[in-house]
Amino acid sequence: MRINDRVFGMLMLILAVAYGWEATQFPVPFGGHESVGPETFPIMLAVILGISSIYMIVRPDPDEKWAPVAMLIELSVVVLSMLAFAWAIEPIGFMPAAALVVSFLSWRMGASIAKSLITGVTSSVIIFFLFNNVLELALPLGLLEF
Amino acid sequence: MDTMSLLMNGFAVALTPESIMFAIVGAILGTLIGALPGLGPANGVAILIPLAFSLGLSPTSSLILLTSVYAGAMYGGRISSILLNIPGDEPAMMTCLDGYPMALKGKAAEALAISAIASFIGSFIATIGLVILAPILAKFALKFGPSEYFALFALAFATLGGITGKNQFKTLMAAAIGLMIASVGIDISTGVQRFTFNTLELFEGVDFIIAIVGLFAISELLFFLERHAGDGLKQVAINKLKLSPKDIVKVLPTSIRGAVLGFVAGVLPGAGASLGSFISYTLEKRVSDKDGSFGKGDPRGVAAPEAGNNGAASGALVPMLTLGVPGSGTTAVLLAMLISLNISPGPMLFQQNADLVWGVIAAMFVGNLVLLLLNIPMVGIFVKLLSIPPKYLMPIVTLIASVGIYSVSHSALDLYFMVGFGVLGYIFRKVDIPLVPIILGMLLGPEMEKSLRHALVLSDGDWSVLFNSGLSIGLWTVAILGLILPIIVGPIVRAKMAKSKAVSEDS
Repeated sequence: MRINDRVFGMLMLILAVAYGWEATQFPVPFGGHESVGPETFPIMLAVILGISSIYMIVRPDPDEKWAPVAMLIELSVVVLSMLAFAWAIEPIGFMPAAALVVSFLSWRMGASIAKSLITGVTSSVIIFFLFNNVLELALPLGLLEF
Repeated sequence: MDTMSLLMNGFAVALTPESIMFAIVGAILGTLIGALPGLGPANGVAILIPLAFSLGLSPTSSLILLTSVYAGAMYGGRISSILLNIPGDEPAMMTCLDGYPMALKGKAAEALAISAIASFIGSFIATIGLVILAPILAKFALKFGPSEYFALFALAFATLGGITGKNQFKTLMAAAIGLMIASVGIDISTGVQRFTFNTLELFEGVDFIIAIVGLFAISELLFFLERHAGDGLKQVAINKLKLSPKDIVKVLPTSIRGAVLGFVAGVLPGAGASLGSFISYTLEKRVSDKDGSFGKGDPRGVAAPEAGNNGAASGALVPMLTLGVPGSGTTAVLLAMLISLNISPGPMLFQQNADLVWGVIAAMFVGNLVLLLLNIPMVGIFVKLLSIPPKYLMPIVTLIASVGIYSVSHSALDLYFMVGFGVLGYIFRKVDIPLVPIILGMLLGPEMEKSLRHALVLSDGDWSVLFNSGLSIGLWTVAILGLILPIIVGPIVRAKMAKSKAVSEDS
């Protein structure tokens, strides 16, 4: 199967066209046209990307296998958990958020629940104190702030 | 003689207690990073950049720290090659060939010690090479005008795939994507907004450190998850070290040859550390393998590639420091460090920041010595750490990476971007788009566009100025060769590498 490269090449071709078109729409800079404007270099890039994506569509490499659907769902859950961590770091505080995300990740990587909790809690506490007290980079305390 | 006194000044910088401390910390961290499979040197340096940045270290300290990490990672790569038969990073692949058989024969400790000594000799000789060659190249590079620089940047991208590069169009595509990301933001010379869609956060462009950590570290985590590699691998037990001075003397000529070859491979565009260790190994095999013991656990077969890859690692710093054009993934990441510290690499670096450059070079000597001293007695500790399963380690590494990114500007938005780049990196790796040209594109984009503009403004818009001087024609020729040659030579070299690997696995 050689679908990956075809599809990806197609997407990149669309990107190249959109990017190149957008570049031609730049407003004329203050002081009038020069021989090289802000659009010159982007247009060159659009051409290069266009050529290489056409090559990719015409002569695709063999596919690397995608993970089964269940794994893709799991990966998305992991990505979501990291986004949730990013969101939670300020309102909830660094330590609880980090403990949760690290425990979750190591559980998903195959550790037992008890061991992942230990990993999560100890690593987040150690990193928090290392950063706040030794390296003097303030991380938010969040809920633990009194 | 001038060089000598500058180097002595450098040692004055590198031998302050603070610098030595950073060199030691960097060496330990680097060895760890290199030893852990899947966490290559580029990855490790990338994770540490935001940390060095938010700690507010001085440019000299951060560079000393990160070059030690870089050198340490090259040392560390060999540990997993020898004990697990899995290279910690790509250049350490050739070390597996004789290292693992040695370990199987119950000589793991000897293999580790010999490779540490060979690594030391490799870096040491190559650093001397750097001291001699870099100032000459920097002086020469002062002759470069904007059109030569433009050609040089093109050359950097064209040769980045390396001789062994599989699909040149994918390298080109990756470079274009990186350069496109770099073009986002307000155009410096005209003030026109480009691809910002009027979003305030995009006015300053995309921060490449966030992109690097996302592309490398986060995508690595996703790959670990997918492969269920959380349990780690079984390793060969380590024995008590019995190494006589005679054994060391026996591998000395091998190491020196390997070091010189590696250095040359490192300096040349597109060759890099992998080729350095490959050439050293094959040449050594041809020169000294009289009884067919290579591939079956010959100490010289361990020394040659290790000296070669460490030599190449230091050699790769020559184009990075003097021209501002890195020759490998990790040096690209080091370049990112320089740029974010507001130091523009290139020929002027040797004049404007002489203290810094020579301090770093001297620190490489110090770091190397530290690494040698660390690696022989403390190898047991590193081996223990290597046996921590990735299922505990990778989440913690991810956490440290995110903390680093977060503490640069205390914004959750940066973390969203990091995760986004991680997903992109995962997809790119699935379709075999190399990540290094993307990073390099983001780094070099602004400079490349600036030199194009300068050249064309000076010539009143005449495009032929790009091919006007002998120098630029030469650079373009090399660039085109670099793009075409791998298509012809690549399959042959790759077949040879695969063959020597297959042979050693059979025996």
